[in-house]
Amino acid sequence: MSQSHADTIPVRVVAVEEVTPQIKHFTLQSLAGELPAFSGGSHIIVVMRGAQRVYRNPYSLMSSPNELENYQISVLRVDPSRGGSAFMHEQVRVGTELEIAHPVNLFGLAKLARKHLLLAGGIGITPFLAQLHDLRMSEVPYELHYATRSPQHGAYCQLISRLEPQRSRLYHDSNRHFIDIDGLLSQQPLGTHVYVCGPAGMITRVLDSARTLGWPDSHVHYERFAAPPTGAAFDVRLQKSGIDLHVLPDQSLLEAIEAAGVDAPYLCRGGVCGFCRAEVLSVDGELVHNDHFLSNDEKASGKSIMPCVSRARCSTLVLNL
Amino acid sequence: MLITGIRSKPVYAPLQVDLQGRYHLMVGHGVGATPLLRLLSDFRTTQPDALTRTRVWYVADAQVSQGSADALRATNIAELRSFTGVDVLLADLTAALDQALMGTRLYVSGPESFMGLVMRIAQQFNLAPDEVRAEECGTMARRVHCIHCRATIENVRTNIVECSCGRWIVVRDHYSRRLAAYMGVMVDAEAPGERPEIKEVFL
Repeated sequence: MSQSHADTIPVRVVAVEEVTPQIKHFTLQSLAGELPAFSGGSHIIVVMRGAQRVYRNPYSLMSSPNELENYQISVLRVDPSRGGSAFMHEQVRVGTELEIAHPVNLFGLAKLARKHLLLAGGIGITPFLAQLHDLRMSEVPYELHYATRSPQHGAYCQLISRLEPQRSRLYHDSNRHFIDIDGLLSQQPLGTHVYVCGPAGMITRVLDSARTLGWPDSHVHYERFAAPPTGAAFDVRLQKSGIDLHVLPDQSLLEAIEAAGVDAPYLCRGGVCGFCRAEVLSVDGELVHNDHFLSNDEKASGKSIMPCVSRARCSTLVLNL
Repeated sequence: MLITGIRSKPVYAPLQVDLQGRYHLMVGHGVGATPLLRLLSDFRTTQPDALTRTRVWYVADAQVSQGSADALRATNIAELRSFTGVDVLLADLTAALDQALMGTRLYVSGPESFMGLVMRIAQQFNLAPDEVRAEECGTMARRVHCIHCRATIENVRTNIVECSCGRWIVVRDHYSRRLAAYMGVMVDAEAPGERPEIKEVFL
């Protein structure tokens, strides 16, 4: 399984467009034959080789799953950036060569849904752009609610209004116009699936509202692309590999493991898929769990950690890797 | 002779109230009224206001005691409907689910064949396992689908049954959720006329 990401695809950037001052849109073309097929909601990991470090950031594919000539992604410049989004904004231009990992879909459309309710906040519109291509071909009803800070910040407001005049609604914080989450979720027909991608607060509000209104978890889908939280530096011993390493304050545990030359498994790099789960052998302090995968009991037991987003407040953490 | 050990046979669990649900629709057939009464009593102690968002539909047959019917009528719920037959209830259930909102929970109790028919409708509405709860009670008589002529035989109590197509078919444990029926295959295809003893097994 660890082959899936070791096997990267070399690509060249063939177009860069500044969509808003904070968002750049990149078109990537393969340097090694056709790009793999994907389904709406998939993301890729872009491997960026910076001067000091290697960054691996997940970005949703926003182009049509029916067109594999190129992949398209949008990158929001995060301020302060840990390095990845700044690298994409400052270092990457037309002609730059990058590596990407194969697409993975952790935010796919439910095939048997009777209706799809899509809720996007800001840059969270990107996975939906690819899904809309699939949805337009299907008979299943859907609606998109897209909230941005202001019309100027809404990178894809015009595109959405043009593509989906009937089935989309735009909201701008600047007009004090917000998505009425409770109102929407309380009036959906049985068999509806809701999907949310956006800022952490928006995702939390949707999950809370859905639970209060009796939505079963199986009908609620969300995708977070948060940078791994920072924290104090700590040391790590990888027991099986016999490697000692140091995790910097703004580096994730997974990044530090990779920097030490260990090919650790991962898929989402966002604490949701569970693929990078590592066994904790000992820790002389406490684990800081930032993932959404382990149950509260598993977190409390201290036996596992998700290195992509979680870290430790300790001097030495020993992992069975 | 019965072909068993096939894992597609549905397994149902005793009914429990789902306090996360916003609307509750309970459907029962015959002695299925008893678990529904238990659910209503559980709501009364844990979340009494849920009763005002609860509907109970049931098909009364000879097995429903007058006591159960009276007890159902005595509960203070949003709606209580008594049906004269399963078909009418199923048709109205389809119409009700079409109008229902997310947050609805469906509870089913009754004989196995009734459960299968209701579960098939639930599946058509993409209800998740955590939105439907079902408890089996009453007769285990099966709906059997003849795989040769595709007729459905209701209320099969025996291991071997004669289909309307004239074949004698043996009932398997192989269950189809789509057809809401067990599969029946010709029992004497290789040796015409040689049939094992017929026994009542689904009581």
